[in-house]
Amino acid sequence: MSATPENPAAQRQAQLDADFEQRQAHAMAMGGSRKLDRRREQGVLNARERIDRLFDAGSFIESGLFATSAVPADSANTPTDGKLAGFGRIQGRESAAVANDFTVMGASSGATNGRKIGHIKRVATQRGLPLVFLGESSGARMPDHMGSRGMGLLLGNDGAQYQRLREIPWASATLGLSYGSSSWYSVMSDFHVMRKGAVLAVSSSLLASMAVKEDVDPQELGGWKLHAEVTGFADMVVDTDEEAIDAIKRFLSYLPGHHQEAPPVASVPAGSGQGMADILKLLPASRSQVYDVRQIIRTLVDTDSFFELKARFGRVGVTGLARLGGRTVGIVANNPLYKGGALDTDACEKITSFLVLCDSFNIPIVMLVDTPGFVIGTEAERRRAPGKIMNFMNALSLVTVPKLSLVLRKSYGQAYLNMGGGRNSDEFAGWPTAEISFMDPQFAVKVVHGLSPGEPGFESAQAEMDKASSVWDIASVYAMQSVVRPQDSRDYLIRMLEVHELRLTRGVGKHLMQAWPTSY
Amino acid sequence: MAATKLLSEVTGSVWEITAQVGQKLAPGDTVMVLESMKMEIPVLCEDGGTLTEILVAKGDSVAEGQPLAVVAS
Repeated sequence: MSATPENPAAQRQAQLDADFEQRQAHAMAMGGSRKLDRRREQGVLNARERIDRLFDAGSFIESGLFATSAVPADSANTPTDGKLAGFGRIQGRESAAVANDFTVMGASSGATNGRKIGHIKRVATQRGLPLVFLGESSGARMPDHMGSRGMGLLLGNDGAQYQRLREIPWASATLGLSYGSSSWYSVMSDFHVMRKGAVLAVSSSLLASMAVKEDVDPQELGGWKLHAEVTGFADMVVDTDEEAIDAIKRFLSYLPGHHQEAPPVASVPAGSGQGMADILKLLPASRSQVYDVRQIIRTLVDTDSFFELKARFGRVGVTGLARLGGRTVGIVANNPLYKGGALDTDACEKITSFLVLCDSFNIPIVMLVDTPGFVIGTEAERRRAPGKIMNFMNALSLVTVPKLSLVLRKSYGQAYLNMGGGRNSDEFAGWPTAEISFMDPQFAVKVVHGLSPGEPGFESAQAEMDKASSVWDIASVYAMQSVVRPQDSRDYLIRMLEVHELRLTRGVGKHLMQAWPTSY
Repeated sequence: MAATKLLSEVTGSVWEITAQVGQKLAPGDTVMVLESMKMEIPVLCEDGGTLTEILVAKGDSVAEGQPLAVVAS
């Protein structure tokens, strides 16, 4: 059918198509070729390229392509109002995303794009879709937000905007300068990856410099090192946009689509468990020697399945997702490589937030224990150690997914309880190398007998204490259910996770911490 | 070249210094070993670089947060 005066239907169709395509091309052009070229030269993806990388090919259906600024004077130069939104499939599973387009008014927050985010969040929550935020925003749009009228029209009209109930997984990336709501969504997410060079802060370094009347370096204000090592807001740091988006996809692969289903099951990679015969070699024979527990974790879990979170924060505690026999598990371990495994306040916060994540999304927890206890001393008290230790303990007691605890070496004092000792796990087990007591036997000899190393009688007193700390004594009173040989640990954990499967609720826990804070 | 100070994560004493000034360090290499809580705890150079300065000596007591060495990268 051709568009001729003799064929008015075809002519009408052609006019509609031409208008649609012209508007579509304008929206797709984003902030214009000059800004897009500049990003390309910097090796940074634009918002549409990021969306393409995130979703399975051909699966993206956009929401709000023709949305623009609500300010009439800006409507022609604000394609999508600076925030791309829509739905697509990630590794075959329906998902939702908002990607900031920095080339349009710095992806600043305005009335229209606020409605777009609200719609995507509502749909994702109501339909059970994982939600992804790709953050890069200059913050609130000026001058739209200025004055009481601006505030009244733009802010506070959605009382649930910053409510987090963990009904669906949220994953976020900070991929450039990120201030205001872009930062809020990142720190509220279950997973947050930062690209090196990006900045996450409350407001820009320019504004901060004006406020404190001195130059503020953007990287010091909110760079990756700060958030990876000091605040713990970055779960992972990568070098490129592509790596960041791939990390989000990998994170989501361990999680269910929403909180009312069990996590997906993967096939077990070839070679999984093949290092088990030698796993004991990774644990030093001397109790004064340290080691990197992550080597033990990688040997135990399915090949290449360990996905560590917050690797540079609170490093005495290791947290990460992994698979055992194809099933997602959350690993919590002490790492003697740092501070000898003594738990500090950062590690308490890190483990607490990880327990909340696992329990909220039906992920069983495996704890690997080797800790001399909590860090004590004036600095720990100033950092509010008692509160952090009890947040951790309270979280553990509220966990309703299966939790297995396996003691590799030391488990002393209150940390024995925090790491699943006694009835604080569903199954409490230990290697024959485990030592369990109220404190390190050397310190106990000092407290009980007043003897220090080198003094007459110290060695015999310590030998007595060591014997009393052995795994066999606690197993004999059935306060520890199993003593497991190191080489049998993988099989034990897989089998015990089968036993403890949440059959009555088809793998779904009670989510008693779904409204807990996303940072402390 | 950016200089990074390696800080002590623990209160303890210097057990052994294992690297030398001028030495090139790969990420994760050990610079020295501290003794704390009856354990030998390594001080690692997380990001790699060249060791330009050692600020403590064997046997010294160190506090948590105290600079131990400087690495240029």
